[in-house]
Amino acid sequence: MRARLLGVAILLGFGALRLPFELSLEKQQRALHYHGAKLDMSVRQQLTQMSFVAALSGFRSIVASVLALEAHTAWQRTDWGAVKVIYDTICAMTPRNIQAWDMGGWHMAYNASVSAREDSRTERLALRLRAEREYFKLGEDFYLRGIQNNPDRSMLYERLATIYRDKFKDPLKASEYFGLAAQQPDAMQYVHRFTVYELAKVPGREQEAYQRLRALYDKGEEEHLPTLLRLLGELEEKLNIPRDERRIREPSQHP
Amino acid sequence: MSDAPRSPRPRGFFLSRVNAIAANTLLELVRQKVFYFMLLFAAIAMGVALLASGMPFIEQFQVLKDAALGAMSIFSWLLVTLATAMILPKDIEDRTLYTMLAKPVSRFEYLLGKLAGVMLLLLVAMGLMGLFFAGALFIREHLAIAEALRDYGDGPDGQAAVAAIRQAAFTPTLLAALALIFTKSAICAALTLLLSTFATSWIFTVMISVVVYIIGHVQPVAREYWLEQSGEAPSMLLRAFLGFVSLIFPDFQLYNIIDEIVVGNAVPLSMFVQAFGLGLGYVLVYTIVGYLFFSSREL
Amino acid sequence: MPFQRQRVVAVEDLSLTVEPGQVYGLLGPNGSGKSTTMKIVLGLVAPTSGTTEIFGCDSSHVSSREQVGFLPENPYFYKFLTGLETLEFFGKLCGLCGAALRARARELLALVRLEDAADRRIGGYSKGMLQRIGLAQALIQEPRLLVLDEPTAGVDPAGSREIRDLILAFKERGITVLLCSHLLEQVQEICDRVGILHRGKLIREGKLDDLISIENQTELILENASPPLLARIREAVAAGGARVVDERRPKQNLERFFLDVTRGKS
Repeated sequence: MRARLLGVAILLGFGALRLPFELSLEKQQRALHYHGAKLDMSVRQQLTQMSFVAALSGFRSIVASVLALEAHTAWQRTDWGAVKVIYDTICAMTPRNIQAWDMGGWHMAYNASVSAREDSRTERLALRLRAEREYFKLGEDFYLRGIQNNPDRSMLYERLATIYRDKFKDPLKASEYFGLAAQQPDAMQYVHRFTVYELAKVPGREQEAYQRLRALYDKGEEEHLPTLLRLLGELEEKLNIPRDERRIREPSQHP
Repeated sequence: MSDAPRSPRPRGFFLSRVNAIAANTLLELVRQKVFYFMLLFAAIAMGVALLASGMPFIEQFQVLKDAALGAMSIFSWLLVTLATAMILPKDIEDRTLYTMLAKPVSRFEYLLGKLAGVMLLLLVAMGLMGLFFAGALFIREHLAIAEALRDYGDGPDGQAAVAAIRQAAFTPTLLAALALIFTKSAICAALTLLLSTFATSWIFTVMISVVVYIIGHVQPVAREYWLEQSGEAPSMLLRAFLGFVSLIFPDFQLYNIIDEIVVGNAVPLSMFVQAFGLGLGYVLVYTIVGYLFFSSREL
Repeated sequence: MPFQRQRVVAVEDLSLTVEPGQVYGLLGPNGSGKSTTMKIVLGLVAPTSGTTEIFGCDSSHVSSREQVGFLPENPYFYKFLTGLETLEFFGKLCGLCGAALRARARELLALVRLEDAADRRIGGYSKGMLQRIGLAQALIQEPRLLVLDEPTAGVDPAGSREIRDLILAFKERGITVLLCSHLLEQVQEICDRVGILHRGKLIREGKLDDLISIENQTELILENASPPLLARIREAVAAGGARVVDERRPKQNLERFFLDVTRGKS
């Protein structure tokens, strides 16, 4: 009996000792946005009972993967509502999964929006365009939430910038987000150039864009890419830069 | 005094006895058919993940890693729980326990040897599943590379795509993920052994083990309620109960950093070290407590 | 009360000594406390009070078991191991290893006449073979004390005779034997001392001859005695004030007859 009591005492004692250690470890993990959102009723409603139990039991990632397969099928059916709901759930369960945010945003901003614009069941173009724009916003929302959960990941900023550029036709916002993407540690090399390319399209910001393009040009041959050379030449013409200060001698020769 | 032969002084020591019991336990468990069925199901689960071929390659790898690591997690847990739950009752029922304990083997050496045997089984199982996982990842990687070269050609774009595929496929942190799965299952094994030292049937042991596993994943919720008074204060009885849950049940959520590894996020080394250290602590404590319960058990 | 475990006194006020080199038989009906006594001797169960020593060493200490070999009733070993592997496994538990262990295992297999089955899995052994391999594992570390629980239970007469001969051989070598058996005839043949347990108490104990001999009777077995000689003996007995209790032809026992017949046939 004494041995058993000692055993129980050791269990409780160990529990008391490890509690602060586990709390500290959990805090560290939460600071890195691990473990996802708390599994509350909103997530419960999106999942079957078994999936919820599985998610609770530590198999969030698996449940998320199964949902990703479901989303793929929903996409093939062009069931955009289901695609959105499923990716909302996946992102809630695994918020550090930037691929999930990207897929959700991409489906909404690109696939769903095109599908809405070309939906032959809606006769009026205005309505189709409005639906298209609403999907743009849904895509934007995915990326903004993704950035909130993963503030240090360049890809999400870059994708959002692309949406602003290609869908919203908002070069100022595109430039801003390309700029934020370029500041992240995992930024791709070309992103810093895209910041300036978009800035060059913003009315009233041409001078600033020209200064930055010139600075890039002066960095060296590796920056002498066709788009940069073309834009630099165009801005030198537009801003009437004195010939002896121009970097591009023959602007017409560059595409 | 008669000229009876004097028995030799024991030439072995603690580790040799534990090794002998561990090796025998591994041999016994590996011969069980359930072991092979588990491996087969794990392989099937991983194989199914190879079907996710229509998705972008990064998602394909994530699905494959999720399925593989998830399958390894589930099956290694099931394997150690079932294997550990049966070893002690079987030895008692067959009376091999008496024959062994009638030798100069302490109950602690016996228990430790059994646990070590289960850990060896876990290592073997994870090794086999890991090999299968590596094979599946290799196949998927090469299919994706072939597709990328077909789509982008052999130029800079193609090479960039190939590099991105390789980066997404195998990452060294996958090995750490395997180690985390092993640690989590090792905790379950030690816990199940502890339960079996006082349980009267292996079914009881398995059921309680499963319940503890599930509770261990929601344990942080219990801890949060116990430590933080938010809104309406819980009653004293509820607080005491939740406190007890926090103190007794392990926190398995801490091992779910595997999810971060799957999506390619960096995990600090210190976090791995802390998780392994904690796991070692759990195994040690559960083994010691299991020995205390077993030492006072009437055989 | 439902959850209350009933306390059962398995053994009470038990005090016995087994001298080195003796064969001690512990007898008693089912539930008399024989198994509990053996478990206490082996340190598997702790007595509520009192002590047990094996050659001066407290039996609750693991080290005391270095000198003890145990054969349980209906021994069960790991089916997947061969006979040789089983002995090597138990030998390792006793601290033996390497070539010495293998040699010892083979020696014991020869002793119990299982050399031919050394590489056969235990799962394929007959009852008698299991008893013999059980004896062998009990001897693996050359113990000074053997504790045997029903060593011949379920074994055919030939196998039973072999085991009995082995026990006698152990006795010749000075090994102390503590054995429990229901087969009283066999106990009678090999034990020096017996103790009889009944409901947890040792009700009788002592040298076998002393316990079972009828004090006031003498047995005289004659060969080729003629009827007149028998008549004269009867007269002499009556004249001496004694009484002829029984007069009959002695019988060989059924076991001896069985063995003679079957060995002759084989």
